[in-house]
Amino acid sequence: MRLDTRRAGFSLEAPFYTDPNLFNLDMQAIFGQHWVFACSVAEIPEPGDYVTLDYGPYSLIVLHNDDGGVNVLHNVCRHRGARVLTDPQGTTGNLVCGYHSWTYSPEGDLIHASAPGEMTFDKSCYALKRAHGKIAAGLVFICLAEEPPTDFHETAKIFEPYIGPHELGKTKVAYQQNIVEEGNWKLVMENNRECYHCDGHPELACSLFPTWGLTDETIPPHLEDVWERNQQAQASLEYRCRRYGLPYEVVEELDTRVGGIRISRESLDGAGESFSADGRRLSKKLLGDLPDFRLGRCSMHLQPNSWFHLLGDHVITFGAYPINAHQTLVRTTWLVADDAVEGVDYDLETLTHTWKQTNLQDKAFVELCQQGAASPFYEQGPYMKSEYQVEAFINWYVTRMREHIG
Amino acid sequence: MRSSAAPATPLAQRVRGLEMPWNRVLSSTAGPAGAATALGPWHPQEFTAECVETIPEAGGMMVFVFRRMDGAPLAFRSGQYINIDFPIDGPNAEPASRSYSISSAPTEPWTFSITIKCDEKGRVSPWAHENIRPGTTLDMLGPVGAFHLADYDRRARFLLLAAGAGITPLMSMIRTVHALPGQADVVLLYHGSAPDSFAFSEELDFLAKADFRIKVIYCLGDRECGEEWTGRTGRLSQELLEELVPDANGRQVFACGPEGYLNSATELLRSVGVDDTSVFMEFFSGDREIRAEYAEEVAIAGEIAEEIAATTEEYFESQPAALDLYEPEYDADGPIEAVGAPTEAVDAEAVVPVEDEVEIEVVGVTDENLAEAGPGSASNAGSTGSAGSRTAASATGSSDDDETEVVDPAALPTVGEGEHTMSFVRTGLNVCVGEDETVLQAARKAGVKIPANCQEGMCGSCKIVKLDGDVEMNHLGGIRAREIDAGKFLPCCSTAKTDLVIDA
Repeated sequence: MRLDTRRAGFSLEAPFYTDPNLFNLDMQAIFGQHWVFACSVAEIPEPGDYVTLDYGPYSLIVLHNDDGGVNVLHNVCRHRGARVLTDPQGTTGNLVCGYHSWTYSPEGDLIHASAPGEMTFDKSCYALKRAHGKIAAGLVFICLAEEPPTDFHETAKIFEPYIGPHELGKTKVAYQQNIVEEGNWKLVMENNRECYHCDGHPELACSLFPTWGLTDETIPPHLEDVWERNQQAQASLEYRCRRYGLPYEVVEELDTRVGGIRISRESLDGAGESFSADGRRLSKKLLGDLPDFRLGRCSMHLQPNSWFHLLGDHVITFGAYPINAHQTLVRTTWLVADDAVEGVDYDLETLTHTWKQTNLQDKAFVELCQQGAASPFYEQGPYMKSEYQVEAFINWYVTRMREHIG
Repeated sequence: MRSSAAPATPLAQRVRGLEMPWNRVLSSTAGPAGAATALGPWHPQEFTAECVETIPEAGGMMVFVFRRMDGAPLAFRSGQYINIDFPIDGPNAEPASRSYSISSAPTEPWTFSITIKCDEKGRVSPWAHENIRPGTTLDMLGPVGAFHLADYDRRARFLLLAAGAGITPLMSMIRTVHALPGQADVVLLYHGSAPDSFAFSEELDFLAKADFRIKVIYCLGDRECGEEWTGRTGRLSQELLEELVPDANGRQVFACGPEGYLNSATELLRSVGVDDTSVFMEFFSGDREIRAEYAEEVAIAGEIAEEIAATTEEYFESQPAALDLYEPEYDADGPIEAVGAPTEAVDAEAVVPVEDEVEIEVVGVTDENLAEAGPGSASNAGSTGSAGSRTAASATGSSDDDETEVVDPAALPTVGEGEHTMSFVRTGLNVCVGEDETVLQAARKAGVKIPANCQEGMCGSCKIVKLDGDVEMNHLGGIRAREIDAGKFLPCCSTAKTDLVIDA
């Protein structure tokens, strides 16, 4: 097994990006075992609201239940296996399979199956299979394992103080973008975990300092000015954070815990408020009880499939949902304060411009790599210093895979 | 003072944000009538008011308290102004028309006050100081002006910048915030020319002490000041703002004062990162000739007032757009469910004047609209709760008041037996139903096609819209509360309690 002989600091061997068997193993070992990002509460704001999500071969229903939590159900009818709910999102009371109208309660219990003459049919044996669901700071996570990893509550304890003040429970979806990238899900994640390629993101570079991931030692001469500006902006941001009692310190445990996380609050260029050309706010309504728009971006990276940017005026969630070895659905969701009015408080095009463009650029990068991995002449390449988070992601992945194989 | 020994008082629990009282007034009455009309702040009116009190204020100002001669309260938004005709040259000559900000709070609507600074060189203000006494009556028009607090603000974080007589509209705002419950955070930075020039300072001192949401900072500018001055000095500057209001960036700024002051404030606010869209300014006109835009606003307000005066009833019935315009912004996409601490229980439902909408939307209901209310409202209910319920509500209204425009149930053929009649408007059939028979059973017997699977109220496949009447429904989870609110029901598990009109 090449997992045993992985060359640290180098990208994975080609089959990890191309082989359907390895993809199946990924699904079992990673998406079948660990806490993965599903959606935000803004996508299922009221009891009865649901989203359906596919992770490789798995299909799940994430339903906002009457107790304010989530029910996570496998979207596989216990009759003949049909998808019970076919819409990507909606609202429902009971869940009715469209094929033969088997009807399940929101908890997944089979409560109705028209069965003339079936005297011995025992409905209690055919409940929808359940998975674990958890809401933390307004983000919904699911876990398909029978016994979920227990350290996720510690991960949640790390990010809750950062994300809580943005009050995701009082946001609404302004826009959601679904892109299918022709690339393995790991390439999608690897691309997200570094800014070495950020020269390729002109829109993003307006507000995101291109020095991300660099240090005093690694700053190239052409970025020295930017680095200086970055340092000043960061000092000013940290001063504000201390005044408002907002945490900003970097917590980085990407591969040192099972619920791998990196979180921090970092300055933005320009006015320092949002992902706009001049760094100014993109929505006029502040999130939660935040006192100030100039709060940079709180960024969170979670293993294995998500990352987040939280600004004073909006939040962007990103989830990677694997389809097969060479295709991944990347879902980006823009959240604004739930009382913000489109066209009054924000302009949808302007709000989404930077990340729509950036996502398309990233899609192209990922697809270039996927094509390369398919070449007989592909060989593992070295991650650079500024790509340490990519290495951490791969190290997390390899460690989990080894654990799974045992 | 023994402030250090003050007893520890628990932190006040407040509802989220600030909500103006007329939101509730409107929702508590059917249609914009009666008290709601009087207390709704968006219809300028022409009226005569009588001075009931004059109170000298610091800074050469005089507060004139008025009440309307017609006994009605004066509805306005904090920060707005009224236009007053001053009969300077006698009752038979053309009066001098001037606009003055209202300095009192709309939460005390039975009297209102304006505050006039005496400008010796002016034509109107010396006359006002000299001649307006309790008993003096003046013709007025108002309220007017877009410089005002919002009807609902979840983040009531304000920076009020006042210079001299510019305090008057801001005084109304501060008094309003103090009078209302709700989370708010107000900083008033008040520039004056001399230590004794700060109008309302005693009240402001009291408010700042009594209300932890309000902070008042006096500033003397760069003029000479005596040693007894304990306030700030220095013109409005970036340093001053950074020091006193470091979170100005997240506040809405309301500024009122002389032109020069406001021009420099505009630049300063930009420099500390306040977005232009968060800044509201009122050039204090004082006793100068009415500015062009004021004159224009007043002219439009006058037209509206005349229209209302001519035909009050018809006016309100024909103004759905106007009412809609002034609904709180946040319910434009449906009411926001209050979650979290009980103190945050902003009652979104109460703010939505659904009843008004019923009356208004009824006017144009046709078969087409009604058809939309059926399948259309199902998806509406899914995404935005209130949209669905409003559509259904208007449909309900239509069958009561405007049924000839839709389908006249009386004109449909009738079949079956039973106490109540169900009119299926799409099928075009009246079906009588007994009390122990479900709507679905009776409908099917009569040949009305309604798809249904479980027939126990679980699967929801028979869900349809009820346009009128009451049913008793014993469902088993096949329908959501908000779908019921939107007028839907499950015929398989419902019996008729009255005659019904059903969109099927």
